[in-house]
Amino acid sequence: MIEVRNLTKDYGSRRAIDSLNFSVNKGEVVGFLGPNGAGKSTTMKIITGFMAPSGGQALVAGFDVFEEPLEVKRRIGYLPENPPVYGEMFVKEYLEFVANLKGVEKSRISKLVQQSIEKTNLGQVQNRLIQNLSKGFRQRVGIAQALVSDPDVLILDEPTVGLDPKQVAEIRDLIKELRGQHTIILSTHILPEVEATCERIIIINQGKIVAQESLSNIGAMAKGARQVTFRIRRNSDELIGRLLALSGVINVVKGATPNTVIAEFNGQDEVIENLSSEVVRAGAGLLEMHSQAQLEDVFIKLTYGSVDQ
Amino acid sequence: MRGFLTILLKDLKAFFGSPVFYMVAFLCTLVLSWVFPIQLAQFSEMAKNMMFQPGVPQQQLNIHYGLFLRQLSYLNLMLILIVPALSMRLLSEEKKMHTFDLLLTSPVTSLQIVLGKYVASLGAVFGIVLLAYLYCAWTGFFATFSWPLLTIAFMGLFMVGAVYAAMDLFCSSLTESALGSFVMAVIMNISIWFVGIGAEVSDSQTIREFFEHISLNAHLSSFVEGTVRTSAIVFLLSVVGLFVFLAERVVESNRWR
Repeated sequence: MIEVRNLTKDYGSRRAIDSLNFSVNKGEVVGFLGPNGAGKSTTMKIITGFMAPSGGQALVAGFDVFEEPLEVKRRIGYLPENPPVYGEMFVKEYLEFVANLKGVEKSRISKLVQQSIEKTNLGQVQNRLIQNLSKGFRQRVGIAQALVSDPDVLILDEPTVGLDPKQVAEIRDLIKELRGQHTIILSTHILPEVEATCERIIIINQGKIVAQESLSNIGAMAKGARQVTFRIRRNSDELIGRLLALSGVINVVKGATPNTVIAEFNGQDEVIENLSSEVVRAGAGLLEMHSQAQLEDVFIKLTYGSVDQ
Repeated sequence: MRGFLTILLKDLKAFFGSPVFYMVAFLCTLVLSWVFPIQLAQFSEMAKNMMFQPGVPQQQLNIHYGLFLRQLSYLNLMLILIVPALSMRLLSEEKKMHTFDLLLTSPVTSLQIVLGKYVASLGAVFGIVLLAYLYCAWTGFFATFSWPLLTIAFMGLFMVGAVYAAMDLFCSSLTESALGSFVMAVIMNISIWFVGIGAEVSDSQTIREFFEHISLNAHLSSFVEGTVRTSAIVFLLSVVGLFVFLAERVVESNRWR
């Protein structure tokens, strides 16, 4: 559905993105990850036809974004970093305007507007002026705007910025719901969001793609030591000794509060399994355990790690 | 075509749905309601006593010169300031509020965007010109004059307003700041009146003719006298065309800059 070949963009002498190559299949949800200033937004802007690349090519549904921008734009719903809303318009009026602008057939407009209002839960504010809405609602109007033309491709640039936790969860559910119907590229630096919604991730750093993997394979990329933290009822040196004896475990220390233990280990998930059963067997009263997310690990190593090299 | 209509309707609604337009219209009527009756009284006084005032030029005894032309020049003065105020937000606000992203990622061409906005601003200019026209039209209740002449004169000024609107839209496309666009636009509106001045300092016949032809004053005065000259229409439309084209280029340049 989306194909990017050797895409390059220079801002003056600064190279924002450098020979990007990736493709996104129809119906896929792809997370586009990277630290601030990595070139995420630039890539999105090129794919949407907002700006032209300095070199390379981007194709959406077989149309070149530079040669046939109108065909591409007909098939794309785009939520930029700042929701492109007119303060002096009513929510419903605005969505109708966008539907017209996107060239939706007249007969389908009211149905599609209603659908996008329902999907983004804007029903209660649909007759209010956008300028009087809170940031979260505006963001949702921005998402509704991207959905309203029922596009094949949805490009969402940090869709959950400014939303409260419940709304974030709603938007994530919405994105999951949209999976299969639309091809979605989701740019973000919020990792749990990617884990919750995406099938595949592309990590970009300093304008270059550093990883392109399905989410299930990303664990394999987590090399080096990992950490798991236990909260237990009864802490003891004996327990620490028993944990240290397990294979793969490098170090076990007491945490910040007396009831936490942090274990550092090398290897895959089976080590975590052994650790947890050992804690239970020791009768320490396991209350909670959590490991640093693998994606977070990989992300930090691939982006910030590469700076040191 | 549909993209053009959608943007036109949206911006017309923005003009006529916003208090700014009505504030401006209100202030215009305030000024005109003060000035026009006084001018009218002066004119009728002069017309009554024309036998006793041999020194007054004949022209001044004609209501078109004595009254309507003055109304036109006040209107022109106001348009120089009002058109920038109305059109300063057209493109700069879109950039500032990031709604430009929406327009540029929608299946509409830059020309449709610019034309939609331009025609919408013509609607607002027309509203103001119509207001000033009504003052003269109401004189028809107690004076006889040539209606076509009056209408053509106002049409001429509307076309000058259209030139302002095109230049001001171009100014608005250049910057994100509405204030910056306003200042630029006022300066452009004023300076276009002084382009013709070049005719006075030139010795060469060709250059003089050139400056006379691009002088807004010369073209407007033909309208004021009730003559619709093709050269005037072609000139005014070319200036409009030039600035709409420039604005379109600026919008388009966002795609490759």
